[in-house]
Amino acid sequence: MNDPAIRLAGLRKAFGRNQVLRGIDLTIPAGRVTVLMGANGAGKSTLVKILCGVHGADAGTVTLDGRPFAPASPSAALRAGVVTVHQNINDGVVPDLDVASNLLLDTLADGSGTFLNRRRMRERAREIAAAVGLEIDVTRQVADLSLADRQLVAIARAMAHDPRLMILDEPTSSLSAVEAERLFDLIESLRDRGVAILYISHRMSDIRRLADRIVSMRDGQIAGVFEEAPLDYSGSVRAMLGHEMTEADITIPAPGRTVLEVSDLVLRPGAAPFSLVARENEVIAITGLVGSGKSDLAGALFGLAPPLSGQMVLDGRPHRPTDARAAIAAGVYMCPKDRLITAVVADFDITRNITIPFLPRHSRASFLSRGSERRTAERMIGEMGVICQTPMDGILTLSGGNQQKVMVARWMAEASRLLILDEPFQGVDIQARRDIGHKIRATAGTRATIVFVAELDEALEIADRILVMSEHSIVGEHRNENIDVSAIMAEVVEAAPARAAGLQHG
Amino acid sequence: MDNRTSLVDLAIRYGFLVLMAALIVFFGIMAEGFLTPFSAVFILQSVAITGILALGVTATLVVGGFDLSIGAVATSALMLSSYVMVVWEMSALSAVLICLAMGAFVGLINGLLVVKMRVPDLLATLGMMFLLVGAQRIPTEGRSISTGMSLPDGSVANGKFSEAFLALGRHRIDFIAPNLVPLSVIFLIAIAIGVWVFLETTRHGRLMYAIGSNQQAASLAGANVNRYKIVAYMISGVLASVGGILLAARLGRGDVASGNNLLLDSVAAALIGFAVLGASKPNAFGTAIGALFVGILLQGLTMMNAPYYTQDFVKGAVLVIALVFTFALSGRGGRARG
Amino acid sequence: MISRRLFTGLIGSVAMMPGLAFGADMPAPFDNPGAVKIALVRYLSTGDFFQAYLSGVEKQAAAIGVDLRVLDSRQDAALQSDMVDQAIALGVDGIIIQHGLTESMKDAAQRAVDAGIKVVAFDVNVDNAAIPQVEQSDRDLARLALEQALKDNGTSFTAGYVYVPGIAPLDRRDETWQKVKADNPGINQVAEFGTLDNPIANSVANQARSALSANPDITVMFAPYDEFAKGVKIAVDEAEMSGKVSIYSADVSTSDIAAMREDGSAWKATAATNPAVVGEVSVRTLAMLLAGEDPGHNVIVPPTLITQQMLNDLDITNMEDLSAKVPAFAHADVSVPGWMPLPQR
Repeated sequence: MNDPAIRLAGLRKAFGRNQVLRGIDLTIPAGRVTVLMGANGAGKSTLVKILCGVHGADAGTVTLDGRPFAPASPSAALRAGVVTVHQNINDGVVPDLDVASNLLLDTLADGSGTFLNRRRMRERAREIAAAVGLEIDVTRQVADLSLADRQLVAIARAMAHDPRLMILDEPTSSLSAVEAERLFDLIESLRDRGVAILYISHRMSDIRRLADRIVSMRDGQIAGVFEEAPLDYSGSVRAMLGHEMTEADITIPAPGRTVLEVSDLVLRPGAAPFSLVARENEVIAITGLVGSGKSDLAGALFGLAPPLSGQMVLDGRPHRPTDARAAIAAGVYMCPKDRLITAVVADFDITRNITIPFLPRHSRASFLSRGSERRTAERMIGEMGVICQTPMDGILTLSGGNQQKVMVARWMAEASRLLILDEPFQGVDIQARRDIGHKIRATAGTRATIVFVAELDEALEIADRILVMSEHSIVGEHRNENIDVSAIMAEVVEAAPARAAGLQHG
Repeated sequence: MDNRTSLVDLAIRYGFLVLMAALIVFFGIMAEGFLTPFSAVFILQSVAITGILALGVTATLVVGGFDLSIGAVATSALMLSSYVMVVWEMSALSAVLICLAMGAFVGLINGLLVVKMRVPDLLATLGMMFLLVGAQRIPTEGRSISTGMSLPDGSVANGKFSEAFLALGRHRIDFIAPNLVPLSVIFLIAIAIGVWVFLETTRHGRLMYAIGSNQQAASLAGANVNRYKIVAYMISGVLASVGGILLAARLGRGDVASGNNLLLDSVAAALIGFAVLGASKPNAFGTAIGALFVGILLQGLTMMNAPYYTQDFVKGAVLVIALVFTFALSGRGGRARG
Repeated sequence: MISRRLFTGLIGSVAMMPGLAFGADMPAPFDNPGAVKIALVRYLSTGDFFQAYLSGVEKQAAAIGVDLRVLDSRQDAALQSDMVDQAIALGVDGIIIQHGLTESMKDAAQRAVDAGIKVVAFDVNVDNAAIPQVEQSDRDLARLALEQALKDNGTSFTAGYVYVPGIAPLDRRDETWQKVKADNPGINQVAEFGTLDNPIANSVANQARSALSANPDITVMFAPYDEFAKGVKIAVDEAEMSGKVSIYSADVSTSDIAAMREDGSAWKATAATNPAVVGEVSVRTLAMLLAGEDPGHNVIVPPTLITQQMLNDLDITNMEDLSAKVPAFAHADVSVPGWMPLPQR
C-alpha cells in the first residue's frame, strides 16, 4: 500500500520576479496522511494550486501512479483523481443550492443534457453521502448547514470521484473540536482505503492526531521530511520557521515611559486572559503561528474589533477605540498586513499613498497643498530609502519591498504614541527587510512599537523583547539577549493545549 | 521605455482630445455655420443638463459607487418645481430650494441604503429610480403640470412659472455677442469647476478617490468611509435636482418622464471621461469633455440631417472607443488583478 | 373639462351606477340599467391624452348606464392579450381595445368575437371584419394643420420637419406631408430630425437648435405631434427666430394652449381630436353594436383646427375653455343614433 501515488521532481514556479517554488522534490504515498507545513509565503498554496490544476509549473514533473500528470484545469485534475478541499469552505460548496445539487455539482458542470431529473439526483446524492458515512437530508439548503457539515459535503462531493490524492487545505480552521473529530475519522477511513492524503495545517493538535509523515516547506523549498516514528514535531516546526541566526546585533536600549498597558485581555471565548506593557524606546515583537491571535490583538489595539474583556490603557487614559479613526486620533497607528488588500491605494502615486492618513496636516481649509505633500513624500522616500524615479511614480510600478517601505513611511511620517506593524516583512526582499527593520528601530525612541511577525528570524532581527502568542493568549516572553530559540519554539508549538471540547468559533 | 510605448502613452493621453479636434474640423468643413460662437453655445446648452447630471454620477463613481436614480431625480425635480409653483403657487426661490432639498434627501436615502443597509449600489439606486418615477405621477394622477390644469380634486391650478424661474433656463448673458450665453451653460461650467476643485484639490476629494480605489485601505488609514459615500450620493442627488430645475425652466411645464435617457447620456459622458487625458478614472474634467464630445457629435450630425437612429449608434460607438482607450490601451485591466 | 368630469364620471360609474332615469327610452339590452357589462382593455395609459380618453369612456358609459371595467396592461403586449381573455372570463358583453399591437391583439380579438362578445378597436388594427375601428384621423389632422400652413405662408416656403418613423400615427401623418409636398413643389424641406428620447421636448429642442443654425432660412416647421412642436418652439425662442418661423402641429393640451398664446409665439396652429370625445365615440360605437345596429367598419372622429388667433380671440386658457367655446371640439356627431344618451355638459 506504500506505492507513491504522486511524485514531484524539480518543480519550479515563479510569478514575475518572485520565485515561489524553487525546485520541489517530494513523494506523497498512497494510504498515508502527509502533513505539509510552511509559513505564509513558503509556497504551500502555489504547490497545491499546481497539483489541482489552477497553475501550470514552470519546470519539473509530476507523476500520478507512474503516469505524467499536468492538469490543464481544475476539472482535468479532478478527472485524473486529484481532489481538493479548500480552506475557505464556501469555495467547496454552493450555499444557495441543496445538498444533492452540491454533491453532484461536478457532474452537472461536466455532464451532458440540460434538464435535471430531481428524483434521480437525490438517489445518487444519497449514495455518495452514504459512501463517506455522511448522514444528512440531501434536500436541505447548504446555506442552512453548520460549517462542519458543509465541509463534510465538500469532502463527500470530492469522494464521489474515487480520488487517488485528496488535498485538504487547513480544513479545521473553522471547526469546533467535536466537528474536527468527525472530520479526522473520515480522513482516516479514506486513508485506510488507500487514498493519498495531503493535509495542510498549522495546528499542532491536528498534526499530532493525524500525521503519518510531516513535510516542512520554507522559501519555496522542502526544508525537511519527517517520517520516522515517533515524529519529530518540534524539528518540523523548526524546519518550517527556520532561523539562520542572522547577525541580529540588537543592543537593547533602556526603555522609557510606559505607553500602553494591557491587562486581563480576552480576545476569544475560552482564551486565557493576558497582560502586556509597551514602553517608549522599545520594540516588541509578537510571534506565533498563523491563527494564534496576533491579528486579533492588533485589531483590538487599532479599534477594528473590541476585545471581549480586559483593559487597555494608553498614556494613563483608557484606550477603547471604536474604529481606526479613533485609534489614529489617540496616536495609535497600524501598518496592516497583506498590503495589497489593506493598504496600497493602487490608483495613487507614492506621494498620495504616503499622505492619506494625515491629509489635514497638508491642507488649509480643506484645500490640499501639493508642496506640503511633496515635501513630506520626499523626506520619507529619503529616510526609508524607497527606490523610485519620482514621488509621482504610481505605487504599483514599485517592487514589493519598495511598496512596503511606502506603507511603513505612511505611518512614520507623523509622530505616534504606539506604532503597530502587522507582518511588515511580508513579500519583501532581504535588503528592504533590513532597511525597514533599521528604520523601525532608529525611530523608536519617542513611541512604543509592536511588530507582529510569524517568522522567528524576523522577530530576532528587530525586537528588544519577544512575546509568543498561542491560542489567542500570550504564552511566553523573552528578552532578545542570548535568547534560547528552542524555548521559544517550544512555546510556539507545545503550549497549545487541546482546544476546549465543543468550543465553537468562526 | 522605447519609442513604441511612449507613442502609446501619447495616444492614451491625448488621443481623445485629438479625436475631438478632428471632429470639430470635420463638421466645420461639412456643416455650414458649425464654427460660430452661436453654434458653440448651442452645443454647450444642449449638454448642460446631461453634463450636470454626469458630474453627479462622477462623484459616485469616484467612491466606487453608482447612481442609477439621477435621471428619475431630475424628472422628479422637474415635476416638483412645477408643482410648487403651479399648484402651491409659491415663489421661484422656494421651488429651487425645495427641489435641492429633495435631491439631497434622495441622495441621503441612497447613501444610507448602500452604507447602512448594505444594499448593493446598483440595486439600491435602481429601486430608488422606480420609486421616484412612480412617486412623481401620484400628485397629478400621471398628468403633466401646467398653468390652468385641473387637479384630481376638481379645482384648477392657477399658479404660474415665475419669470425668475424661467430665466434660469432661458436668460442669456452678453458674451462676445449680446444675449449669447444661457445661464444653464454658466451653471454647467461653474458646477464642473466646482466638482473638479472639490475632487482634485481638497482632502475630501482625495479621500473619496482613495475609497474608490481601495476602500479597506482608506478605512484603515482613518477615512470615514461611510460618511464620504453618503456625501457622494448626496452630491449626485443635488446635482441631478439642479439638472431637473434647469429642465423645468427650459420646458416651462412639468412633464411626466422617466429620465432614462438623461441617465444613460450622463453615464456615457462620465465613462467617456475616463479616457480623457488618460485618466483611467472618473474625473470632473473628463466628464465635462465627455459630455461636450457627445454634444458636438449630435450637433454636427443633426446639422448634416443625419436621422435620429444614427445618433444613438454614434453615441454607442464613442462610448465603446472611449472604454477601449481606458481599459485596453492603458492596461487598466491589470489593475483589477493587482 | 377632463379631470373634473373624470371625477364625477368616476363617481357616476362606480358609486351610483346605473343612475338616472334612462332605460325605458333605450333599446335592449340597455332598457335594463346596469345589466350590460363592458371592458376597456388598454395598452397605453400614462400621459394626458390617455387620461382624457379614459374620462370620455367613463362619462359615456355612465350616461348609457353600463358597468365599465378598465383593464390596463401598461404597454405589455402579452398582458393585454391575456386581459382580453380575462374580460371574456368576466362575462362582459362588450370590449373596447384601446391601442396595442396587431400581432398580439388579432387572435385575442377573434377569441372575443367567437365568444359572442361585441368588440370595438381604437387606434389598433385587429384585422377583423366584425370589429369596427374607431380612429382619430391622423391624415385629417395633418391635412388641417398643413392647409393652415399653406394659407398663412403661401405655397412656396423653406420647411423643417420633425418625424420619427415607425410610430403608426406619425407614419400616417407623414403620408399627408409627403403628399402636400408633392402637390406643392414650392415647398423646400431642408431639414428633418426627431427623437423620442424623453423628456421629448428637451431632446427635440436640442436637435431643432442645430437644424435652425444649419438652416437659418427655415420659415415653416411642421411638427405633427405636440411634444415635437413644444421642443421646436423652445429652440425657435432660444434662437430668437420666433418672428420668422411658424410652427404647425397636431394634438393639444392645456400647456400647449399656453405655449401657443405666448406673446409672439411661433406656434401658429395645431389640429387636434379631443381624446375625451374619442373615448365617448368608442363607447357609443360599442353600444350600437350591442343594440344590434351597424356603426360602420371605420368610425372616424374628425379633428378640429385650433389656431393661435382663435385661442386669442376667444380667450381660451385651458382644455375646459376649449371644449366650452369650440363646440366642434367638445362633441363629435359620430355614432349617435336617436336613442343614444349623451354625457351631460
